[in-house]
Formats: sequence, C-alpha cells, structure tokens
Amino acid sequence: MSGPFAIDCRGLVKTFAGGSVRALDGVSLSIRENEFFTLLGPSGCGKTTLLRLIAGFEQQDAGEIDLHGERLDHLPPYKRPVNTVFQSYAVFPHLTVAENVAFGLEMKRLPRADIAARVMAMLTLVKLDGLGSRRPTQLSGGQQQRVALARALATAPKVLLLDEPLSALDLKLRTDMQIELKRLQSEVGITFVFVTHDQHEALTMSDRIAVMNHGRVLQIGTPEDVYERPTSRFVADFIGETNLLAAEPAGPGLFRLAGGDILQAEPAAASAIAVTLGIRPERAELCASAEGILRGRVEHISYMGTDTTYHLRLTDSGLFRVRTQNRDGALVRVRLGDAVGVRFPPAAVRLLDE
Amino acid sequence: MKPALRRAVLLGPATLWIGLFLVLPLTLMAYVSTLERGPSGGVLWDRHSADAYLQFLFERDLMDRLVLNTDYLHIFARSILLAGVTTLLTLAVGFPTALWMAFQSERLRLVLVFVVTVPFWTNILVRNYAWMLILRTGGTLDWLLTALHLPGPPLEILYTPWATGIGLTYSFLPYMILPIFVSLEKIDRRLIEAAYDLGADRWRVLARVILPLTAPGLAGGAILVFIPGLGAFISPELLGGAKSMMIGGLIQQQFGQSRNWPFGAALAFVLLAMVLLALWAHALRYRRERADE
Repeated sequence: MSGPFAIDCRGLVKTFAGGSVRALDGVSLSIRENEFFTLLGPSGCGKTTLLRLIAGFEQQDAGEIDLHGERLDHLPPYKRPVNTVFQSYAVFPHLTVAENVAFGLEMKRLPRADIAARVMAMLTLVKLDGLGSRRPTQLSGGQQQRVALARALATAPKVLLLDEPLSALDLKLRTDMQIELKRLQSEVGITFVFVTHDQHEALTMSDRIAVMNHGRVLQIGTPEDVYERPTSRFVADFIGETNLLAAEPAGPGLFRLAGGDILQAEPAAASAIAVTLGIRPERAELCASAEGILRGRVEHISYMGTDTTYHLRLTDSGLFRVRTQNRDGALVRVRLGDAVGVRFPPAAVRLLDE
Repeated sequence: MKPALRRAVLLGPATLWIGLFLVLPLTLMAYVSTLERGPSGGVLWDRHSADAYLQFLFERDLMDRLVLNTDYLHIFARSILLAGVTTLLTLAVGFPTALWMAFQSERLRLVLVFVVTVPFWTNILVRNYAWMLILRTGGTLDWLLTALHLPGPPLEILYTPWATGIGLTYSFLPYMILPIFVSLEKIDRRLIEAAYDLGADRWRVLARVILPLTAPGLAGGAILVFIPGLGAFISPELLGGAKSMMIGGLIQQQFGQSRNWPFGAALAFVLLAMVLLALWAHALRYRRERADE
C-alpha cells in the first residue's frame, strides 16, 4: 500500500486523573484508505480513548495524528472531516429523523435543496425511507442506530469512527447490522474505524484488527493473522479459545512441558528460559492414548450443537480443551472418564510472548 | 382494605390540605369580593355589590356617574412590565450561571447548588433592607463609584422602578437558575459531542442543541419568576417607594390603610385570572407541540 494513510497515529500517550491512569501508552498505528479497521480489546484497554483522540473530544498528552498526510490533532472536533457513531446513538431527541440527518449538512451551510436531496439519499441508504418526519423516540433501537449512521455519513466524512455501535442491540439485530455495516462501507467507500470488545464482531467485519490491552497495541493484522498466528499470550487468549501450556526450550524448535513431554512449535526461535505455548482447541484432535502427543482423561464434555468441546485433565500439565465438529451427528465415541490421547501438527503450536 | 376505602385514605391528607388551605380561602375571597365594604373595614356579610370590580376600571364622579379611571390599570401594567423585565434579567444572568454550573465536576455542582440556595436562609425583608443600604444615595454602591473615580452626580437609584427591578431580579434569581440547571444537567453529554462532531461550533451547539433541550427549564424558570414577580410587594415597597407601586402593594393597601376588603379581594382575583389565563395559553401551546410529535 503506497501513498498517505487515512489515519496515521504516532506515539500517542493519554493519561487521566492527573497522570495516574495511562489510557494510551505510546500507540502507533496506520489505517489504510477505505479500510474496515477494528480496535479490539477488553474494556479499559484504551480503544475508545484512541477513537476520542481521533474525533477530537480529547487531546493527547504526546504524539501526533495525521489524516491523509496532514496533521489532524490540533483541529477542534468541528473542523475535523471525521464523524462519530456513538454507542448510545446520541440522536438529537428534539429533532425529527430528517432533521437529525440534515444537522451536519446545515452546519456546512449547504443550499436547502441540496440538503433535502442528500437527506433523502441517506435515508434510502440506511433503509429508513418514509420515516424522515418521525421523532427518534418513536423508533426502535436498531432504527435509531441507522439514523445515527445516516447522520454521520451525510457529510461524506473522510473517516467514520464507530464506538461499539452494535453493543446495545440484541443478537439477531446485531448480526443483521454487522452485514449492513459492511455493505454500507463498501457502498460509500469511506474508511471505517470500528471499536469493539466483541471478538466475533471484529473477526467477521474487519479488514484488519488492532488488538489492544492496557493502552498498548499488541498485534495488528487481518482477522486470520490475529486468530491463526497470535504473537502474544493475551491475543491468543482474548480472541477465541487457546490452550496455554508453560514450557522451556529443549533444543531447536523443541519445548519441554512441565510433565516432561516434548513439543515441536513454530516459530522455532526462542531464547527465553520459560515460554508459553498456545494450541487452539479445534487444531487438536483426540486419539488413542498410545498415539497421543499428550495424554489425559476426559473430565467434562460440552455439546454445543455444531461442535463439541472435550475438557481433558492432562496427566501432568493441567487442563486441555479439544473441539471437534459434529459432522457425523451426535455419534459419541468418547465418554466421560475415558483415557485419551491428543495430537496436533507442529504448525498448530504457537510460541507466545508474555 | 377495600380499594375504594384505601383510595380515600390515601387521598385524604392531600384533599384535606388543598380544601383547607386552597379551596376554602379562595372561596372566601371570591365571596368577599362580591360584598359591600364595611364602614370601618371588614365587610357587610349580607349586602352584595359589584362595586369592587367596577372600582378596578371606573370611579364615581360628583354626579355619581361612572367615569373611566386608569390608575389601577397603570399599576397592573407596571407590574407586568417589571415582572417581565425581572424575568428577562434573571434569564440573562441565570442561564449562563446554570450553564457554567452544569459543566463542573459532580462535587463542585453540589456545592454550587447549595451556594445558590444560601440566600433563602436569610429573611427576604432583611435582604431587601440590605439592598436599600447598597443602593441609597451615599450608600455602598455610591461610595464604590466615587472610590473608583467614576464621574457623575450622586447615585439616585433608590425609590425608583430601577431599584425595584434590581431587588426583584436578586430575589428571584435562584428560581430561574435551579430549573435551568436541572434541565442542563439532564442533557446527555454525547449529544453535545455529536453536535461538535458534525461541525457545529460552540455557539451553534448552544443554539441548536443545548437551548432547545433546556426549553422546559427555561419555561419553568420563567413561570416561577414572572408569576410571583407580578404579586411581589416587599421589593417594590421597600426599594421602589410610593411612586412605583405594584399589584402586591395595592392589594396589601386595601386590606390595610384603605380598609377596602372587597376591592382587595377583587384585585387578587383579577390577578389570579390573568395568571391562570397565561398558564392555560402556555399549556395549550405545549399540548399542540406535543401533538405535533
């Protein structure tokens, strides 16, 4: 990718409560044009603070933000070509739906006829045709969310910031809106910066994800990158489920577990004395005890429709989960208390940073 | 307990209170206003007459004919004007104050609300006497202006409608600040951020988002200031002097020096009718706005 980034953050630091709380601790990341970029992390990780810095609601203590190659961070929020969709919608209750959508356009002092036409187009885009004269209080949560979207998109901002916009919706509606947001983004061709704590949302919608924790960015990559190739213990554990095993190096590409079992892992290089290995439950499979790399006893079985998770108590190294797809129906081969083996290819074993 | 009995018991205290302290006195006043005045105060309980209401607009000349007399209308007009000006002044001072208060930290907000209500701890008479000392020729304000070497003749504000206006504005300011503050505090901060975000600068955020959302508080404050302002009589009496009498003073005079109870009662009812009409009009407008939604 060449040319300036849509958003380029360098060394952002933001503290609260007189410096005692470091919400952002040196965050640098670049967001490409027309990208659906997600900031993912648990609450308090700094993702919303980063969004508010880009919007201009907060001022950073150190660092810079560029928008398309030009400094953004010294502009007040009303001069930034960036709009926000808030978690609580923040739809103006004293204005009609159409007036809400027209708000940003009126602030730009566009001619009335242009505004009216643009409002109509926006309401069509978010599928709210004919509801323009309603009050927001007469709309459902999902509809209010669409009003907020239309309002933020109406002025054709360079970047749209979305602060957990779907978290207040119920599951069914949320799934619909996820698809809807992707459609909108490809239709309007605007860079979306999406904040969420929901890993599924992040994986399904994003072009790239930045995983954050304690005010730092831990990993940036495509959904596949961060899921299949997590670099740190936190990322592996936060996104999806991972079996974490403590180990120590035992030769090139080899690691010894606490129980003495030796595992092969990728990437091979490790100089640390103690390491953590991560293995996704679905990359492992059950086998006869003698054929297993690891051995244990089935302690619990959770049947979840599409798949089943087997919770094993390993002979020496704690708990291990194995997930199998229920492709052949509920054909039970393994029962509670059975002694089983676990096997997995070396590529499934990830070496993780603390 | 049966539902009907339960309802009666629960409604009882309120009904009794309203009956004893609202309906009964008002009925009594209405009745008094239709009686003839007694020769030395009081009323003749068995002699009815419309004189009290006629007296509001007419007086009898030497030939016992009714002639239009606009003296009382003038007092009403002055009262409405002064109460109106007071409302505007308290609005002008109260809104920025409330706005500033609403955006302070939660702890400071509590302290500020307390500070606003501190004047209520002192008797209103005492506070108006204090204003007399401040405003009189040679008083605190006069002294301050001289000390600042501001040119001009000695201050002559006391015993003018200006002094009444100052006194009323001071007395009623908390009644304006508090409802506006409550309205402002309830505004979702995200709405203000959303307006900034969509390109509105400070003034347009104020005009397009904050003011419309504060409308109920503004209306409430205006009602709380204007209506008692109409009937106020301590400030006009102490600070305004005899030349700028307001309705409150006039009514008080009828029950005091003038010993004309029916006229005093009639005046009170004319005032009440005006206020009710104004509130009714406001309610009608409000209902129409609601219906539009």
